[in-house]
Order: sequence, then structure tokens, then C-alpha cells
Amino acid sequence: MTRANIILLALASAVWLTAQPRTAPDIGGVWSGTWNVNAKTAADPKLIPPAPGPLLLKAPYSQQYAARQAAEKAADERGEPLGNTSTMCLPDGMPQMMFAIYPLEILQTPGRVTIIEEAFGQVRRIYLNEPQVKVGDVAPGYFGHSVGHWEGDTLVVDTVGVKESVLGYRGMPHSDQMRITERIRLAGPDILWDQITVEDPVALEKPWTYTFGYRRNPGYRMQEYVCENNRDYVDEHGATQLKLSEH
Amino acid sequence: MRVRMTIFAAACALMVTGPLTAHHSFAMYDRDHQITLTGTVTKFEWTNPHAYIEFDVADPNGVVKHYSIECASPNVLTRVGWKFNDLKTGDKATLLVNPLKNGKAGGMLEKATLPDGRVLGDGNPPSGKFDRQ
Repeated sequence: MTRANIILLALASAVWLTAQPRTAPDIGGVWSGTWNVNAKTAADPKLIPPAPGPLLLKAPYSQQYAARQAAEKAADERGEPLGNTSTMCLPDGMPQMMFAIYPLEILQTPGRVTIIEEAFGQVRRIYLNEPQVKVGDVAPGYFGHSVGHWEGDTLVVDTVGVKESVLGYRGMPHSDQMRITERIRLAGPDILWDQITVEDPVALEKPWTYTFGYRRNPGYRMQEYVCENNRDYVDEHGATQLKLSEH
Repeated sequence: MRVRMTIFAAACALMVTGPLTAHHSFAMYDRDHQITLTGTVTKFEWTNPHAYIEFDVADPNGVVKHYSIECASPNVLTRVGWKFNDLKTGDKATLLVNPLKNGKAGGMLEKATLPDGRVLGDGNPPSGKFDRQ
């Protein structure tokens, strides 16, 4: 091989390498939410993501939200907590499942990112590099319809089609116009952040942004969670009660 | 004493680490009081959304009262060291529980002393605050 050929080959290789898409970061594996990490004793300050901005709801959502919060507080003080979807063993849905009360497992496969939440065995599928459906053009569900793409080191995910009965973070209500944008990226080698922005022209005065943090939990094996033995029931006064056994 | 109380309060505050349940509010239990039950397991249900210990407690006259004790989920219990077969029907055990506020024979587990002497918690902070999430 002549020197000129070697140079040409090197140039061609350089051009080919530049043209290749950058490999997506490895966010696969099991992650535990950092909601229980104490900010004062955290091993790494990045375990505590930035504090959420204010939740500004429009009427009548704002009044309904305030009334529900007050009723929940009063019922808890009476020792008769109000029934809710979790009393009925229903999953969190989006975006609350990303709070990760139990660990999350992320799977990266060609064209897809799949996120599993251990509690209730929740699964969401994020389809990569395909157009999003129109709002109102997909059957409303717990996890909505999610598409995503990589912007450098950040997985950007767009979700629509979450049922109105599925309340969000801190019990946020929403309309069928809700759109969730997530920016998921490694904040450190073993720390993941999901910055979530919720837009809803009907329910929100302005978009609400908050960030959930996770730390890698490499030795953990996800367990099953099937809600087969729910002894809680809501009585005629709307209070949660425990069904007792005689033996 | 005041210093000790302050330290105790600070320790309690640190233990309030947030919601460890994926299920419901625990406001039906009296988290400020604990009762100790010594008796016999009639059934250990390793199920979601919560595990349950069905438990017979005999008084000094031999009169048996039955309790249903709610535990965390098997997922949380596993993370704090429990196995599905750590309690079996017929086992003698001692349970520290928060009683139901309505006075009925039920409660929520704080910790259990197993037949082999091991003491396992429920994965929840003692006298902690439970936020529904």
C-alpha cells in the first residue's frame, strides 16, 4: 500500500467515523429513586435534583385541588383516610410512576427504551425516532403514548394520551390536552435525572417543571408485584378501612 | 433531659425518609402508640399490596383473641431482610404493632421477633410520617 493510499484510507475512515451517530449513553439497569436521600448527608449533591417550580392550576382545577388536599388532611387527622386509586390497587401511571417509589428498570433495545416500575409492575414503552400521534388521536391510558430521541447525551421523551383520572405528581389534575416532556440524562456516572415538564393549556396557568433523581442499584433484582390480596376497602363514608380476618 | 428529647426528636426527623409504601395512607393506625403481642401465627400471607400476619393471642385465662396485622409489601420486606418463609403457621412470635385507631383487633407491624430470635422491621420509619404518593 502506497503512502498516498494509506492517507486516503485514513481520511475515509475519519469521514466514516464522523458520520456515525454517537452511541447513546448507557442508562440501562436498575435505578432507585432518591426521594428518600437526606439532602444534608447525601454522598453526592447531584443525588438531590433541583427543587420543583410552583404548580399553578387554572380554575376550576385549582379550587378542586385545594378542596381535595384539605379533605385528605382532615380525613387523615380523623384516622379515616380517604379512598383513592391506590386503595383500589390501581397503578400510578404517567408521570407519577417516574417518582419511583419502588425501583425502576430501564431496558435499551433497538428503537425502544422500556421502563419498568416494580410497584404494580408498571411498564412504559418509549418508541425512538418516530413521529408523535396527535393529542386526542390515541386511546387515553395510564402511561400514554411516548416517543423519544437522543439529543446528545439526553433522551428527550414526549408523552400524550394520559387518562384524566390518572393524577400526576403531588396529585396534579389535568385535562386530555396534557403533554409531558422528559429530559432524561446521566447527572453523574451512577446518577440519573428525569426533568419533567408538564404542559396543559386547559388545566395549567403555565408549564410545571420538576426533576426526579435516581441512583444506580446494580445488584438489585426486580421483584414481581401483583395486587392479589387487597384488604383495604372504602366504606359508605368514603373512609379507608381494613378488612379483618376471623382466623 | 431536654437535650435528650431534642436529640430524640432530631433522630425521629431523620428517620422520616418519606413514603415507603406504594399503597395508601396509614392514618387508620395509631402511629403514636405501640402494643406488644405475643402469640401464634395462624397464617402468614406473603402477598401484595401488603403482607399480613394472622395472629392468635391468648390472655392469662387462655381466652384467645385474633389479630390481623398489616405489614409492608413483600418488595419492601425483602429489602429489609425478610424471606417469604420467615413465619409459618404455628410459629410463636412477638409483634410490636401500631393498633387500629378504631379499636378493632388489627394493627400495622413495626417489628417482629421471629422464632429463631431474629428481629426484623417493617421497613417503615418508627413513628414516622407516611405520605401518600
